[in-house]
Amino acid sequence: MTRVGARLAALGLTLLLVALPAAQAQAAQRARTAQQVPRAEQSQAVRQAQAGQAKIGQAQTGQAQTGQERAVGQARAARDPQGGKKIVRLGVTQSVDSMNPFLAVRLVSSSIHRWMYGYLTVPDSKTLKPSPDLAESWETSDDKLTWTFKIRDAKWSDGKPVTAQDAVWTFNTIMTVDAAKQANGPAVENFESVTATDDRTLVIKTKKPQASMLENPIPIMPKHVWEGVGDIGAFENDRYPVVGSGPYIVVEHRKDAYVKLKANPGYWRGAPKIDELHVIFYQNPEAANAGLKKGDIDLIGRLNAPQFEALAGDPNIVQWNTPGRRAAYLQLNHGAQTIDNKPVGDGHPALKDPRVRQAIHYAIDKQALVDQVQNGLATPADGSIVPPMYQEFFWKAEGADLVTHDAAKANQILDDAGYAKGSDGIRMMPDGKRKLEMRFSIHTDTPVEDKLAQFLTGWFKDIGIALSTKKLDSNKFTEETGFTGLFDIAISGWSVNPDPEEVLATHLCSRRPTASGEGGGTESFYCDPEYERLYQQQLSELDRPKRVELIKQMQKRLYTDAPVIALYYPNNLEGYRKDRIAAITPIPEDKGILYGGSGYWPVYSLQAAALPAGPADDGSSTGLIVGAVAVVAVLAAGGFLLTRRRRSVADERE
Amino acid sequence: MTAPSEVDPGTPFDVEPAGPAGPGGERGARRTVLRYALAKAGGAVLSIGMVIVATFFLFRLIPGDPAIAYTRDVPLDPAQLDRLRHQMGLDKPLMQQFLDFVGRTLTLDLGTSYEYKRPVADLIAERVGPTLVLVGTGLVIAVSLGLWQGTRAAWKHGSRFDRFSTGLSLVLWSVPTFWLGLLLLMVFAAGVGPIPGIFPTRGMEDVDAPDGPLYLLHVAHHLVLPCLTLVAVVYAQYLLVMRSSLLDEIGQDYVTTARAKGLRDDQVRRRHAVPNALLPTVTLVFIHIGFVVGGAVSVETVYSWPGLGLLFYEAIQGPDFAVMQGTFMVVCTAVIVMNTLADVAYHVLDPRVRSA
Repeated sequence: MTRVGARLAALGLTLLLVALPAAQAQAAQRARTAQQVPRAEQSQAVRQAQAGQAKIGQAQTGQAQTGQERAVGQARAARDPQGGKKIVRLGVTQSVDSMNPFLAVRLVSSSIHRWMYGYLTVPDSKTLKPSPDLAESWETSDDKLTWTFKIRDAKWSDGKPVTAQDAVWTFNTIMTVDAAKQANGPAVENFESVTATDDRTLVIKTKKPQASMLENPIPIMPKHVWEGVGDIGAFENDRYPVVGSGPYIVVEHRKDAYVKLKANPGYWRGAPKIDELHVIFYQNPEAANAGLKKGDIDLIGRLNAPQFEALAGDPNIVQWNTPGRRAAYLQLNHGAQTIDNKPVGDGHPALKDPRVRQAIHYAIDKQALVDQVQNGLATPADGSIVPPMYQEFFWKAEGADLVTHDAAKANQILDDAGYAKGSDGIRMMPDGKRKLEMRFSIHTDTPVEDKLAQFLTGWFKDIGIALSTKKLDSNKFTEETGFTGLFDIAISGWSVNPDPEEVLATHLCSRRPTASGEGGGTESFYCDPEYERLYQQQLSELDRPKRVELIKQMQKRLYTDAPVIALYYPNNLEGYRKDRIAAITPIPEDKGILYGGSGYWPVYSLQAAALPAGPADDGSSTGLIVGAVAVVAVLAAGGFLLTRRRRSVADERE
Repeated sequence: MTAPSEVDPGTPFDVEPAGPAGPGGERGARRTVLRYALAKAGGAVLSIGMVIVATFFLFRLIPGDPAIAYTRDVPLDPAQLDRLRHQMGLDKPLMQQFLDFVGRTLTLDLGTSYEYKRPVADLIAERVGPTLVLVGTGLVIAVSLGLWQGTRAAWKHGSRFDRFSTGLSLVLWSVPTFWLGLLLLMVFAAGVGPIPGIFPTRGMEDVDAPDGPLYLLHVAHHLVLPCLTLVAVVYAQYLLVMRSSLLDEIGQDYVTTARAKGLRDDQVRRRHAVPNALLPTVTLVFIHIGFVVGGAVSVETVYSWPGLGLLFYEAIQGPDFAVMQGTFMVVCTAVIVMNTLADVAYHVLDPRVRSA
């Protein structure tokens, strides 16, 4: 029996031996973070003092009063760290690729950067039009090539003033250092020079007129901090607290785990109404859902339909269902070509005929797709690839342009075009050499696309086109529909930013694959002179209403010529706990999204109910209980074994 | 028992015949062990070399253009795509890419991740700790549980305990890891009906985790469910191997002799049967130690455990070639090294292998 005891002890020891070295490394890292906390608090106090001064300068914003109150409240909270901290925990199902804004491309990372740093402009919370952020005002020269921005009187979170020099350094770094181009290289491609005439005035000269200048996606970085980092491509932006000028300050980041942000008391609009914002990573969406229901997190965005529906019936959870920023569409291989106009791939020749494409458009019942495939959580597409969430840019098909579900009309069009039906009900090419048998390429393991394929196959049969489904893994799919052109019809979709220029550009001639067959980023192999002309025109049209009109005409061209056919706009599905989040303003304000939109409005507007008890206390006491239970269980099992052994030995002795 | 062939069916290096019982038998034996170990090590180095070659070409067979796949949700123009391909080294001829790859690998440079823009070796080093905690603990528990139950089941084979434990372990072994993990998570982390969710829904630690010794408890709390899932799906193999090899031993003459000597049942089992039956499990344990490094992809994914398995899973979705190659090579190397150690250990532990 002593042997059993020894065995148990050995087991425990081995466990410790395995766990300790790793835990020690973690603890060391924690210690480093902990050491920085006093400094953080100290500088926060300094910042609060400075924030008070800054408020005098911006009394006219109307936010100063609340800001000052907030600062006082913060100071009180700082004295009593456990006292009713207001924390909101955001669940995300994407891990942070990099905290360095020059490198990060993932949505979660760029969202966090939106909360850490100021930009020249920010989409207005109601209209999504560019509105002042760090740039207070701006003007353009008569030749449309020179932009002059007035930089606001704001402070970095370490107390230093934000100046035009910071912006100059940021843009010039991206323009000159290759490693810094990864995230936002394209945004400065058209920049000729960036200079500051004084600390408040930023001058950007462009090579060609650039209408989308005000949608510049680049955060302004603190020059005094970043100048000394050395190799920008290797810097992880992990000197906590990270110096920024946005509503929140990052104080800790654990890879594949969480990012912890604190309210920036010196934020120029006034400090946020919560104390801390935690961004918590779940690899598994179902686990994230469970976390929301349990109360481990307070808000989660970008849900799919089943996850969203699983939240129904919980009295504490608000299901937030609003128009989304995405369009789902069909991509039709209407004669794929490389950039030097050489045909590639094996698209069905009938799809070159715009009449066939239009007939296909008539065959589709978009409302049925929304009801049956998307469980009603989408809007039928009566436009093209820009969803109606962007009211300003959205083009709505009306009158003669509007295509509705009408199989008879589709058949009529195909009959008139000379595609006669054979005895099997499948149409033939006018020359009688090939049947209208087409493939529909979808991704493997996507039930939604399977269902979509079933509906399309049925409707296509009604108009004499045989459709077979071809499932591909996502890499193969991207290859065949993106540059080798080995498809007839494929599912596609794209999320759109407040300025749709980027997504419209994916249908330009120049995006087709190179002569050597490398991808160029096309979403349709489209190359249409009319579309190109409109695109070039809008690039330099600085008069906003006129530019909006041009962009609408581009969508109309896509709708009527049908290289792509928009099916529906999936809604943006989110959920949050109303017992934890007292208020949150979506973007746009009336029916907008909470997480993943541009700008910081929802997160900045967050108001939280105070936690009933300190979450850290709660967690560790549960941990203690569980640990104690585990120890007792092991002892009990050991005791049980011992008695068993004694008894069996006794049995055998007889 | 046919131990040698079970240990190592594939290596071309034959076991050196032990020196004819000449002078200095002890020294001779030691020399054979050394020679044997060296031969095995040579084989391992060769295998690792082949892994390097295979890794490179294997990962080039994945369809798709990494530059396009990487930027799936970012519209880029051809010039930017070209720059990206250049950064990734994809614009060089295949042979050149291969030579670069071999050269870098030999200097332990596993390349730079496209997704994280950081050296793969760093990414792996950061995630080894959590994986060791999870899979290491799981392995220790699974081995102890499996061997204990296997011994008991074999000693009283046909008993209710035997049927129950063998049956249960086989059921758990056949259950998909991902499904079991999710089930445990839904029941014991989220809470169902009267069962409260007492375990965390994710990760190894929460924001504001306590410091000091409490931190260990905090991690242990997070470790319970992932570890339970891992143990449940792997302990069956230890149980079954132990059970069958002990059954082999039970019928042997020496066991009968031991009983005839009047030894207690307990002593017969512990002193005579079990030590001999343990040999095959040694191989199994060593091989699994190799896999520890690979983490448990499904378990880490379900529980968002920040280890190597999660890194590998994310890399596949990228696809992030550099990270995939790096983790793949690290895991392969670990398995090969452990396999070699198992061979040598066997040689030392079992005199029959030496004389064979």
